[in-house]
Amino acid sequence: MAAVCDYTMLLPLLERAKEKNAYFLVTPKTGARSGVVPQCGTAFAPGAASVPQRAPQPGEQYRFHFDMTKCIGCKCCVVACNEQNGNPADINWRRVGEIEGGWYPNTHRSYLSMGCNHCMEPTCLEGCPVDAYSKDPVTGVVLHSAEACIGCQYCTWNCSYAVPQYNPERGVVGKCDMCHERLDKGRAPACVSACPEAAIGIEIVNIAEWKREYATNANAPGLPSADDSISSTRITLPDNLPPDTRKADFFRVKPEDPHWPLVAMTVLTQLSVGAFVTIWLLQLFGKTTRLGVAALVSLVVAGLALSASTLHLGRPIYAYRALKMWKRSWLSREVLLFGCFSGVAFVYAGLLWFKLPGSLAIGALTSLLGAAGVTASACIYLVPARPAWNSKRTVAGFFLTAMLLGPLLAASLGIGDRRWLSIAIVVATAGHLLNKAGKFFWLTASDSFELQASARLLSTTLASSFLGSNALLCLGGIILPLFVPSWAGACASLLTVLAGEVLSRYVFFVSVVPKNMAASYVAAGKAAA
Amino acid sequence: MSLKRQLGLDILKERYAYASDPVMGHTSEQKIPDTWVSTTCGYCSVGCGMFIGVKDGRAVSVRGNPDHAVNSGLLCPKGLSEHYTLEASNRALYPLLRNKRGKLARIEWDEALAIMAEKFHGVQEKYGRDALGVLSTGQLVTEEFYALGKLVQLGLGTKNYDGNTTLCMASAVSGYKRSFGSDGPPGAYEDLSQADVIFLIGANIADNHPILCQYLDANPGRTLIVADPRVTKTAMMADLYLPLKPRSDIALLNGMIHLLIENGLIDREYVAAHTTGFDQLEESVRKYTPDHVSQLTGLTPEQIYKTALIYGKAKAPFIGWTMGVNHSTKGTETVNVINNLALITGNVGRPGASPFSITGQCNAMGTREAGFASSLPGYRKFESASDREELAALWGIGAERLPTSRGWAYPDIIEGAVARKIRALWVIATNPIVSFPNLGVLQHSLDSLNFLVVQDGFHPTPTTEVADLVLPAAIWGEKEGTYTNSERRVSKVNRAVKPPGEARTDFDIFLDLAKKLGCYGELFPGWTQPKDAFEEWKRISAGRLCDYSGLTYELIERHGGIQWPHPAGATEVKTTRLYSDGHFSTEDGRARLLPVEWEPFPEQPNTDFPFVLNTGRTVEHWHTRTKTGNVPILERLSPNAWLEMNPRDAQSLGLKPHDRIDVISARGRVKSVELRVTEIIAPGQVFMPFHYAEANVNQVTQSAFDSISREPNYKQCAVRIERAQIAPQYWGVRGSPRARVQA
Repeated sequence: MAAVCDYTMLLPLLERAKEKNAYFLVTPKTGARSGVVPQCGTAFAPGAASVPQRAPQPGEQYRFHFDMTKCIGCKCCVVACNEQNGNPADINWRRVGEIEGGWYPNTHRSYLSMGCNHCMEPTCLEGCPVDAYSKDPVTGVVLHSAEACIGCQYCTWNCSYAVPQYNPERGVVGKCDMCHERLDKGRAPACVSACPEAAIGIEIVNIAEWKREYATNANAPGLPSADDSISSTRITLPDNLPPDTRKADFFRVKPEDPHWPLVAMTVLTQLSVGAFVTIWLLQLFGKTTRLGVAALVSLVVAGLALSASTLHLGRPIYAYRALKMWKRSWLSREVLLFGCFSGVAFVYAGLLWFKLPGSLAIGALTSLLGAAGVTASACIYLVPARPAWNSKRTVAGFFLTAMLLGPLLAASLGIGDRRWLSIAIVVATAGHLLNKAGKFFWLTASDSFELQASARLLSTTLASSFLGSNALLCLGGIILPLFVPSWAGACASLLTVLAGEVLSRYVFFVSVVPKNMAASYVAAGKAAA
Repeated sequence: MSLKRQLGLDILKERYAYASDPVMGHTSEQKIPDTWVSTTCGYCSVGCGMFIGVKDGRAVSVRGNPDHAVNSGLLCPKGLSEHYTLEASNRALYPLLRNKRGKLARIEWDEALAIMAEKFHGVQEKYGRDALGVLSTGQLVTEEFYALGKLVQLGLGTKNYDGNTTLCMASAVSGYKRSFGSDGPPGAYEDLSQADVIFLIGANIADNHPILCQYLDANPGRTLIVADPRVTKTAMMADLYLPLKPRSDIALLNGMIHLLIENGLIDREYVAAHTTGFDQLEESVRKYTPDHVSQLTGLTPEQIYKTALIYGKAKAPFIGWTMGVNHSTKGTETVNVINNLALITGNVGRPGASPFSITGQCNAMGTREAGFASSLPGYRKFESASDREELAALWGIGAERLPTSRGWAYPDIIEGAVARKIRALWVIATNPIVSFPNLGVLQHSLDSLNFLVVQDGFHPTPTTEVADLVLPAAIWGEKEGTYTNSERRVSKVNRAVKPPGEARTDFDIFLDLAKKLGCYGELFPGWTQPKDAFEEWKRISAGRLCDYSGLTYELIERHGGIQWPHPAGATEVKTTRLYSDGHFSTEDGRARLLPVEWEPFPEQPNTDFPFVLNTGRTVEHWHTRTKTGNVPILERLSPNAWLEMNPRDAQSLGLKPHDRIDVISARGRVKSVELRVTEIIAPGQVFMPFHYAEANVNQVTQSAFDSISREPNYKQCAVRIERAQIAPQYWGVRGSPRARVQA
């Protein structure tokens, strides 16, 4: 600020308004005026005043403070963050969203600037299969190691704020680390020092106290509930937010990434598990012919599924690391269980092929591990940050896929009694369709933004895919088995249902509307070349 | 992608490495430079001091200058990413000439300048000297403006020379001239921190001059009044927001003057000592009673009383304005009413109190001072024989060589080309196809030219694409000189990197052309660098309001910018204000109180075109986006245009948020704009940003100009909104800045 100041000029209007000839009173907005007053003759270092001057003590951690009453939505913090971290334009560890409410001319648009909330119970960390995340014991900063990361992106699903972002150029995730290495040296984080309004600051918080009182200070319109992970960010809200304030991007809902390798992986693992269970059941009921062939085919399917899954990783060569956190992460458990399933299934197929003894017991183990794998697989999707997935319908759906595809494979390989298999297929399909219909009505009837938005996607942008997948299931799972009772019919049935399942799983992935902070009204652009 | 990367063995560790730097601290290693070059931001006229970080001859980062008087180290998002403009993929690299097949093809500089001189000469021989038009900018350094002015007026000898500043600041210039006798904003930014009342009229500083907001933050006692028909970010910061009807500010201000006179809240001593015309003013505002003003503005009488009394009772009230005032057929007169209000209350040139035009471009002020377009250099008047004689004597030329009146202003040059009176046009660092109102007329105008030269740092732009000759210019960061900001602060601009390809500084282009024209020796004797122009300009400005004679490059650098006047012999560098002694630049030294009448804006909504269209900016972009459209992070943050409409209007038209709509006026149609349904905008009004060539709002704006300043009336025109005739798109819509404007 200019070096010459003359504060004798300052005479608050309030004071004069109280003089006797004034008949009105102007009330300054509370909280909006605590800007840094520059001292005469000295330049102030941007952001320096907004950073604690000591390290947190035991029981404390650093946190962001965001003052919504000061933010003017200039997005300096976003640009500064990208410069600080050398990130490409389409990766923004700090983002600014808009919330809006009121009626002209009493309209209020406020801005939300957010990096990582350095949560007290970080969901990113809990789900990580490779232990790439850590919560710094001194500062409480949630750190992510690019070295350890294998690019599975499970953390990007687990965070309610969409903080971790996958960088396809690197094959790993990255996130805001509060510029902790700047803080260590007494420097402000990039966002803090770039803010022209001093709206972002770093504070020290007592963890126990915050866990008691976060509900009133960590939540804001346009932000997901802080309950999911106990966000540590303190937000100062304007005291006059209109009651209808909501995110500016309320009506802009776009389909999510389809994750094609995962579409393939989930459908094929469920096919394989369903097939092995069917084989084992047939064996149990005394069928012996061509079970070896069926088991071999199912084994190949399992192999394809597991290979497909590595294509989803940013660093496929380190896929094995995913086993590491089996005690905590469903993703690790899925990898472990499907790994065991494949191994035991290999033995089972071998026993059947060479008609060796003990196959029934090994078959039982295969089935058990397969079912456990499908369960683990489904549990991956039961995350609060992705509400449309976070339902028992997801588990049911995965099992119904297995129950439908298993008998279909058996029927098309010509093993078992086609009549009984057809009944199983029709029943599974009906269950499957009912489950999907149930989900759709659940979404439509919900009052949560994300679930309603998912329903909106299914009935607009994704309507043809959604209806198409159901039609394929109906055709391949009900009409063909009932009306074309031949081997050719069974093969056509398998292909139709497989197509329906793939389309249906695609819709599952793209129709989820994740929890997220408010964004701008106009969608973010793709990075310029 | 390499196999190692695909397998995951390589995660680009080097590219994403961090390192510690004594200046920047812990940061991305690739952003740490070898050297820092001090300079001033090249976007708007706030004039922020900054450094460019240079590594291996490339600009890799920028940072604000913490010791600079203006910005204390802070920058807006455009400034924070300004280094990307230097390596933008759309930089102009080589001189290009349109060949027989109609394509622009590379030629040598020498040939380009020879052709330019020959074509200009040919046109001027055949159709008269004034058949050449020159359209300049507010983006060059003052030294270049000074050289260009001499080159155009004395070398080429045409007076039809103006800048894009007429699309922006001309009303403020004319208003100051009429009220105070000279251009020149009287106040300083510091006033924003010292005023007890800040009254912003048609100024959205939070979006357009965000770094000024810190001056308000440093002033916790202030009362902020914002008058704007749209609930802008700035309006939301206000203690008292006045949602007035479009273009009713004259009525509001006259109403305030009426109430202040009636309630004895004026400074009669000041009025008697320093102004003329009070009686006529008093008479003219008599009819602006609160009830009448209430009808005209849509404000309640109580709001009008409140505003008048807050202003009238303030110890140091500041009035700031920008394009809401200037972009109007009544722009000049609106500035006069603002000045009237400040004058009758004695609030001119006192700490905290001034009528202050917040300028647009980084060096719009420089061209006003030195440019020889809207006035003779040094705010001298074309009409004044003594001013002409003084200047001619300083230059050692005959006074008869100086024009006795201003040539055509920007819109008149454009219309002159339509009338075939302008035959050749030289456009420098501006992009009229996106920025000039009523695109149809402009295109007709450019099509009518015999020869169009466009000199720009960027190619292709919509305007370079239609040029006959394109001259590649160096931009900010590649050249040296000075900028003057809104508060008359002269700051240094320095070269950090070499221009790309064969691009040359505008200064060198002007000198080289002068050599081809044979006037180099006379106009620019021995000049080789901007400093030569600066030294001469110091002599020319000596004794004038904008006195540079005590400034040197070293002194400016040392103080991070110095406000003029800074006459030779000045011992102290301090905040300066104009007219603090009540002595104005008029012949009798008194300011003029000028009666002004409210008038409705020219194109009222009607049954065919029921909406009033307002235009403006967004914080992420600059002007026509030739620069910011290629800065990836800014494009990411603001990728496409939108149209704001009130939910009540959207409902009655059956439109939903994010629908694609067309904006149609009597003049044209902007196609496929994303609809923003919002209570920011009043029913009956719509708003659209003007930055986007792909959705060019100037396809619908009108050819209506202020009769005094010639500034276009961008802020209001009548439009209709229809659902777009193409299929709606829901997301990921992004156009290329290079997209040609559809005729």
